[in-house]
Amino acid sequence: MYLIGEFREKEAAVAAIRMLKANGIGPAFMDLFSEEPVELPRGVLDRPTNMSLAGVCGAILFGVAATAFIWWAQNNYRLPTGGMPVFSFWATGVITYEMTMLGAIVAIFGWFLWESGLLRRRDKLAPVPVVNPGSLCLRVRCDGNAVSQADEAMRRAGAVDVQGRNGS
Amino acid sequence: MVNAPGPPSYHQIREDLFRPLSRVSRRYMLVALIAFVVGALGLVAWTFQLRRGMGVTGLQRPVFWGVYIVDFVFWIGLSHAGTLISAILRLTDAAWRKPVTRAAEAITVFALMIGGMFPIIHLGRAWLFYWLLPYPNSRLLWPNFRSPLLWDLTAIVTYVTGSLIYLYLPLIPDVAQLADAHTTPWRRKLYRLLSLGWTGSDREWHALERAMKLMACVILAVAVSVHTVVAWDFAMAIAPMWHSTIFGPYFVAGAIFSGIAALLLAMAIIRKVLGLEAYLTRYHFDRLSKLLLLMSLLWLYFTMAENLTVWYGNETGEMPVFGARTRGPYAPYFWTMIVLNWAIPFVLLGIRRLRSIATASVAAACVVIGMWIERFVIVVPTLANPRLPAASSFYAPTWIEIAITAATFAAMAMLYMVFAKLFPIIAVWEFRPHPQGEE
Amino acid sequence: MEHRWGMTIDLDRCTGCEACVVACHAENNLPFSTAEQAAKGRTAHWIRIDRYYEGEFPDIKVKYMPVLCQHCDDAPCEPVCPTYATYHNQEGLNVQVYNRCVGTFYCANNCPYTVRYFNWFEPEWPDPLQLQHNPDVEVRPAGVMEKCTFCVQRIKRVKEDAARMGRKVADGEVQPACVQSCPAEAMVFGDLNDPESKVSRLAKSGRSTRLLEDLGTKPKVFYLQKAK
Repeated sequence: MYLIGEFREKEAAVAAIRMLKANGIGPAFMDLFSEEPVELPRGVLDRPTNMSLAGVCGAILFGVAATAFIWWAQNNYRLPTGGMPVFSFWATGVITYEMTMLGAIVAIFGWFLWESGLLRRRDKLAPVPVVNPGSLCLRVRCDGNAVSQADEAMRRAGAVDVQGRNGS
Repeated sequence: MVNAPGPPSYHQIREDLFRPLSRVSRRYMLVALIAFVVGALGLVAWTFQLRRGMGVTGLQRPVFWGVYIVDFVFWIGLSHAGTLISAILRLTDAAWRKPVTRAAEAITVFALMIGGMFPIIHLGRAWLFYWLLPYPNSRLLWPNFRSPLLWDLTAIVTYVTGSLIYLYLPLIPDVAQLADAHTTPWRRKLYRLLSLGWTGSDREWHALERAMKLMACVILAVAVSVHTVVAWDFAMAIAPMWHSTIFGPYFVAGAIFSGIAALLLAMAIIRKVLGLEAYLTRYHFDRLSKLLLLMSLLWLYFTMAENLTVWYGNETGEMPVFGARTRGPYAPYFWTMIVLNWAIPFVLLGIRRLRSIATASVAAACVVIGMWIERFVIVVPTLANPRLPAASSFYAPTWIEIAITAATFAAMAMLYMVFAKLFPIIAVWEFRPHPQGEE
Repeated sequence: MEHRWGMTIDLDRCTGCEACVVACHAENNLPFSTAEQAAKGRTAHWIRIDRYYEGEFPDIKVKYMPVLCQHCDDAPCEPVCPTYATYHNQEGLNVQVYNRCVGTFYCANNCPYTVRYFNWFEPEWPDPLQLQHNPDVEVRPAGVMEKCTFCVQRIKRVKEDAARMGRKVADGEVQPACVQSCPAEAMVFGDLNDPESKVSRLAKSGRSTRLLEDLGTKPKVFYLQKAK
């Protein structure tokens, strides 16, 4: 069962989220829909992320792989040029750098697609509210007794409208 | 001169920014037609060159790199528009950049695509360009990774990938909105596909903002390296006046300089043509103008440093090149470049009374032309005056090179025009109307 | 021990007759240029005579300097080629592999001696000059860079003959076309690894200099002239 509450003010939505958390509904069951990114105070609806770490890991992976490949390729067919050694880190260091950056880019983009849920199609059955201009929509997933509690909490926080929908 | 109007309403914003997507004016068709013809001419010229051989250009021993390489460096340089505006200003949280970011990022992507064509166009056997790519082959060879040209390849591939993603990310929320707003079925399908099912949930917004912030850092690092690597195509060679340690930073500064000029020019045109006077205000142009002036002075500093050092050092190999640039056959180009890149912008942008959107556009146009000439003045005189003076020569481009160069400008215009018809040129969700006096 | 091919050119003997230039053209199937192409700087002379004038009339001195690929040991043209179309072989030759050349022009730009030449068009020879081609040497297509090879086809033939006969290559047996044709006997070619060879002895003489030596290219063509 999904409850969708429409709020006109950011503070009202924040209050609603706090009340719902007090009632035992965690952030994992809540989604806040808006047409622009909404900045909420810390601790209200935090979404911890590992994107930076993913970026760094991707960068290191690509960088090391590229350098290893160059080392192998240069040694595979040993053609000397200009008196330079067969493999020299500095002669190809730029490529290492670029591939490191590419690794970061690919990792960040991939992690974004994953974490945002765009690719996983998280919760396919959940209804997507149509957000009116200037409003915020809070979608809560709850069952049984919690439904009426959540409904009341949202209305008290200042929801303009609260609707219930089944997953469809 | 700073004079921001009252913020437009929500509906007004969406109407203004989505309106250009649905109409195609007669002026648009005319410009598109001209661009198409110029582009087609360029393609004919290139086909002719592929069939006859590189001899149809003006290249000759010892000037083996000419207008094509100048174009290459020029377009890659122009691509730094987006990086500066989007990345640096995003990281410093400068609010005035908001209406400008997508246009800048679009310039970056298209300039890179066009610039990336030139390493292929200038090849003696262009149909074999893929030999520079590392893949197992019957020649039993991998490419020579020591060559700065391979560094170029990796740098540009990385930058194109990064810029495309960087352009695409903030486009997703806008495209999701467009998917609902549009009635044409093919457009709806396109937007829905591109939006990846964006719903506007806070998880998505968080991930997006996080990704954009990280991408800004990485793109900045990449952009600095890309034009440094392009500069090192020259600096790693031992040709006189190319083998200079200043080239890396010099080219990056020059790239940002030409990028801002191109952006300013593009903004002025968009503003007029799409009627976006309320969004691209004098305030934005004021900021861009000051940035352009700053870069002009920085460019002058680097140019002075380079030329003064060479002249004072009086090295046998370098002095003929220096003489050719400042007093010899390339002197008209060199001094025109100084006027266009520094003198005119200094006057038009430095004197407050003269600074306006119109004069800023003029200065920007001068800079774009001046920076093309700057690349020419860097590439050709060095090659024309080699270390063994008996081999000296002169270079003048033929109609083939001119046609192909013109075609790239036409291609840029076309790509941009198509982009502006498919996507709002100002990021709707990022745009918050600019209140008076806000920094 | 491996060979290490080098050359000395005695500038005091060179008369500037350009017999070496013509011989090179004949031996290596160099492309033919019209006067028009020459005016556009499109001729190819793997060995060329650079003329330098000193002084004013009537005290003019003319110096002739045959310039060819120096086969540098630290060749600047080699590391910049992205397809290994030019690399250094074990006998010290700077090898140009026509089939790998994509035509990036970087090698030519980096050569301080400007000894690299490009095939701007498909080569054409007016009838009946095409009958004079050397079958040992490839005819290069348009779009490919070329330069002096120290007549590698002659080196190869001599080495094969010597191997077949079970003996070593004698000093002076390998003669590139230019060396062979010089009427003043100004050019000497041989193995620098052999300390007894004529080229080694001349290269170590007090009159021996190298072009643009301070660039660190380690060229293997030694110019002999009276030290001033």
